[in-house]
Amino acid sequence: MTSSVVTSALTKRFGPRLAVNAVDIELPAGVVSGFVGPNGAGKTTTIQLLLGLCRPTSGTAEVLGRPITDPASYLGRVGALIEAPSFYPTLSGRRNLEVLTRLGRIKSSRIAEVLAMVELSDRGDDFVRAYSLGMKQRLGVAAALLPDPELCILDEPTNGLDPAGIREMRAVIRGLADRGISVFVSSHLLAEIEAVCDHLVMIDNGRIVFQGGVGKLIAAQHSDIVATPEHASDLQALTDLCIAAGKPARIEQGEVHVQAPEDWAPELNRQAMAAGITLRGLTVSRASLEQAFFAITDAAQKEDADG
Amino acid sequence: MWGAFASEWVKLRRRAMLLWGLGGGLFFAVLATIFTIERAVKNPTLFPLRRGRISFAELEQPTGLVHGVTDISALIGIVALCLFAGAFATEYSQGTMRNLLVREPRRAQLLSGKFLALVLFIGLAVVLEIAVSCAVAFILAPGRDITTSAWSSTAGVNDLLAATLHVFLASVGYGMLGAAFGVLLRSPGVAIGAAVAYVVAIEGIVVGAIWSNGDRWLPGQLFSAIAHGGTSDSSYHHSLITVAVYVVLIAAGTLTVFSRRDA
Repeated sequence: MTSSVVTSALTKRFGPRLAVNAVDIELPAGVVSGFVGPNGAGKTTTIQLLLGLCRPTSGTAEVLGRPITDPASYLGRVGALIEAPSFYPTLSGRRNLEVLTRLGRIKSSRIAEVLAMVELSDRGDDFVRAYSLGMKQRLGVAAALLPDPELCILDEPTNGLDPAGIREMRAVIRGLADRGISVFVSSHLLAEIEAVCDHLVMIDNGRIVFQGGVGKLIAAQHSDIVATPEHASDLQALTDLCIAAGKPARIEQGEVHVQAPEDWAPELNRQAMAAGITLRGLTVSRASLEQAFFAITDAAQKEDADG
Repeated sequence: MWGAFASEWVKLRRRAMLLWGLGGGLFFAVLATIFTIERAVKNPTLFPLRRGRISFAELEQPTGLVHGVTDISALIGIVALCLFAGAFATEYSQGTMRNLLVREPRRAQLLSGKFLALVLFIGLAVVLEIAVSCAVAFILAPGRDITTSAWSSTAGVNDLLAATLHVFLASVGYGMLGAAFGVLLRSPGVAIGAAVAYVVAIEGIVVGAIWSNGDRWLPGQLFSAIAHGGTSDSSYHHSLITVAVYVVLIAAGTLTVFSRRDA
């Protein structure tokens, strides 16, 4: 099996609102797949559909090769953290996990193992109401790991975490992938996803706007080449030179910003030299995931507007 | 289903659950027994019986031992109603229902396992409440010169077992109604408030002002009749059969809503 999740025209409507609109997703197995999009884009609804928590209005999906119409056939191999971590506040962390091991007929020895994995062994007997948000998130990940899953679905696992907590969570997620577990992690924080994911699914207004490797997405975006001439008087000539070569360029704070692929930088250097312009600096500013996301969603919205 | 049953027991062992679920019922049972015995009237011809008081003669019957508890069976039922409504609605309000459904996606199994665990809990609570009430009655009775020989006779033991069964069945009925409110309304405050308002106020108003025969047909009235082993208005068998129909309808409705609604 090469895909952990496959959906086909998966759709969920809540009254007049189309929360998930004919979504086609294919997630490769054994990697960390990011699921990004702004709040209200349809991430949590898609995850709930995959976990059998709500029924699709139309379309089909398979998780670990089994249809989502029969969640009992695959959820034993799936771990999940859905939205905010929810636990019984007057039970200890260990007892909260015991509720789930008994329910899912999972060996109780897993409780100590997963608590150790998320570094909560020493606080496992404390009431959950005494936990910080970061500890609750880690307990949520521990709960997801209880069945020793093949696929781990984490919905916004870094919500409300401080920078140290976010770094810890990234390490936990990478650790899962290193152990061969497929991870599907949603977030509206694009930088966070960029740091941890191999594969990416972008959703906006209930529709998938991109899916593929993170590197492929960023490489497909134009980078900014920033050229600084030795003499400020050459700024306009350098800009004209770029525009003449078919590359959009603008002057910003004594530098020329050229929208062009990274590999055009040596060519720019050659052409500037040929025109008698000496460059003091030549750098490439790579597109971030955030820039790539907005470029793609803007393009999608433009396409919709054009009909 | 047994996974859901075992899982629910972890939650039922919580200190707060033991305190309010068991302790609350025990408190009322002991209080009712003390009131019944201490306020019993030796000679009703000299001191006419007022509301809530019974005579020594009545108390010295085989049924006298559980008089106090059967008198407050509706209160024990309300505790069950709140316990069941809260147990289901809280899972939704604190978001734990999703965790449960991921680990047990067969919703009928989850619902029935959870319900059975609550039934066992309420069963143990009823047995404990009646046992403690009996102990209190045996301790207090000699101090007021109440003869207790009939309580420990064969008839007394039979009446005790029958009363325990009646109060238990009535509590399960109240609990099932509470569970339905919990699943439907998904907020513990709203579910408990609505369930109690229905049983205590709405049915009372309906029977008192609109439908005088309603005490033979409305579920809350029938649960109360079962707890007392039948009343002059509604016999035990009539109450039991009508409640059985209600139980089937409520269970089917609750299961349908629980299974089909998005979590």
